[in-house]
Amino acid sequence: MEKGHSIIHMGKILIVAAYAVYAAFWLRFIGHALVWWKVSQRLDNRSLARPHLKLKACALTVLDVVLLGRVFIVNTALWIVEWVFHASFLLVVLRHLRFFLDPVPDWVWWLQTPGLIAGYVLPFALLYILVIRLLTKLEKYAAPANLFLLGLVLAISSIGVVMNTLFTPDLVDVKLFIFGIVHFAPAAAPGSVLFLLHFCLVLVLLLFLPTHIFTAPLVMLEARKREQALRLVIHEK
Amino acid sequence: MKNKRSFTTELSARQVLELDACTQCGECLKHCPVQDVTGNPAVSPPEKIRMFREFIRATDGLKARLFGPAEADQKLLQDFAKAVYECTTCGACGQNCPVGIFTQRLWPMLRKEMVKRGLGPIGVQAETPAAIKNSGNPYNKPAGERYKPWFPEQVKVADRSDIAYYAGCTGAYESQPMVKGDVLVLNAIGEPFTMLPPEEEVCCGFPLFITGQHDLLKDLVTRLVKGYKAKGVKKLICSCPCCVNIMTRDWPAIYGEALPFKIRHITQHVSEAIRTGKLQLRNKLSESVIYHDPCYLSRGVGVIEEPREVLRSIPGITVLEFERHGLNSRCCGSGGAARKVFHENAIAMGRQTIDEAVAKKADRLILACPACYAKVNEAMQGHKNQIRITDIMELVSGLI
Ligand code: SF4
Ligand code: SF4
Repeated sequence: MEKGHSIIHMGKILIVAAYAVYAAFWLRFIGHALVWWKVSQRLDNRSLARPHLKLKACALTVLDVVLLGRVFIVNTALWIVEWVFHASFLLVVLRHLRFFLDPVPDWVWWLQTPGLIAGYVLPFALLYILVIRLLTKLEKYAAPANLFLLGLVLAISSIGVVMNTLFTPDLVDVKLFIFGIVHFAPAAAPGSVLFLLHFCLVLVLLLFLPTHIFTAPLVMLEARKREQALRLVIHEK
Repeated sequence: MKNKRSFTTELSARQVLELDACTQCGECLKHCPVQDVTGNPAVSPPEKIRMFREFIRATDGLKARLFGPAEADQKLLQDFAKAVYECTTCGACGQNCPVGIFTQRLWPMLRKEMVKRGLGPIGVQAETPAAIKNSGNPYNKPAGERYKPWFPEQVKVADRSDIAYYAGCTGAYESQPMVKGDVLVLNAIGEPFTMLPPEEEVCCGFPLFITGQHDLLKDLVTRLVKGYKAKGVKKLICSCPCCVNIMTRDWPAIYGEALPFKIRHITQHVSEAIRTGKLQLRNKLSESVIYHDPCYLSRGVGVIEEPREVLRSIPGITVLEFERHGLNSRCCGSGGAARKVFHENAIAMGRQTIDEAVAKKADRLILACPACYAKVNEAMQGHKNQIRITDIMELVSGLI
């Protein structure tokens, strides 16, 4: 009884926290977007030779984003693991959509097995990256913010693996809880401590989600345009 | 009083996005020559970017918008100013950045912001505007000594011509074998070329641009462009990578319209002359030489092949390469006006260049930048490894 009460309280707190984090996420995003908007109004007249958008630059940027092409060029040893990390993270996120959507679209069902495999791979990829960052002389610098994020995702994904293998929470409760949050119709939290921890850490991750996920693709495109236009600087002008 | 000025004022939209896009991965540090010699990550690109993001947040973030801009942390500002001026602006970090941040352009604009806040430039760099105002060059040397000490008597300069040569201040006052080589080679090509009189050949603006002191740029650039235009110039040749960089990338914007002439680096002009048979290198050189790509020539404007073409056309020569060359070249320590303040860093970087050249068993180290030439020669004084240092045109002029 006691335990049931505290879980219900916990559930309420988590629901409030989820909404607060959701609001904070958007506030942070709007804060950044306002800066981007303000500077985008500025006429960039610092160079009269602005590179034009070329198909090749766009194609290379797609490769940079999808295959992390630039990481491949600068650090091949890290590239494959970085790519595995990003790809498996994406698959795991997509697999989790089954808790957010009803009815669950077919493609989300199809992604369940790949997503499950990715869930097991993810912590190992993260561990490898952390070891490289912390223990090898190859890396001269490990930013605290970067380490914090890697550690956080490692904790979230490890708990996910434990829940999947050893202490599986009631998935119906999980779906009702998440679905309730998404549809502003709060339901009781599942009675699994591991799930609650997993959920809390995801909220922390959302709070610190780096905005480079929005801006890096644009900067990669600019970089490709610039590389393509290098010959225009002094050779063909 | 609060300084409410936005930290994004001097940045383009792309540069603000770049600051946001840094993933703090630290990949760039492996390529940073300043990290190599100082081992101090505080000077590193992600740290500089992290600090500057905090400044932007203070003046432009959501909280600043709702409750008014806050004062940036003064200690952090001072740390940042030191870090951004210790950097040689070589751009190797950007070249090896998985996101593709154009750091060679970003750091100078962040320096400009520091100047606007009274935190930059550092040390003697602050004397540059007054020196240029007074004498036309950053060394505050008399215009009368600009050409006289090195200009070969046999070389004739036309009053007007399609082709003009700009010697540049560092070449003319600090690396004279280099500019002497330039005019000897131009003379050997046989096409008439003109030059501005010494009091009119003022600074190209690069030392001001790179230290963030932009106030005099418009005057200098307008004066030079009008001077060459009046002489009917269609092609302006220069050997200094920094001058060439600002001429191509920034002069049009500073001048306010497209330039009435094209800019060419001297190795472009000379390699073409060799290709078309206007210049023949008859003398043999049975040596192994190693060519160092200046950062502002390779990464800056993409002139990579032409110097090698010139060198390979010398009979008997073997051209070696540094481990890091072309777009990926390692700074010799002279860039970004940092050599004037962080002298020991510059000497240590110069010695790394010398050491690698010696380790590769090169007979000569070939340079193509007056700042590199002056500093690497200085770095060799008292160093355990010794090698003959020659500018590329100094070498060519001795073989025709
Ligand atoms: S521009 Fe060069 S010196 Fe400056 S941080 Fe980048 S790699 Fe280091
Ligand atoms: S390599 Fe690029 S993204 Fe990574 S820390 Fe350096 S500047 Fe930032």
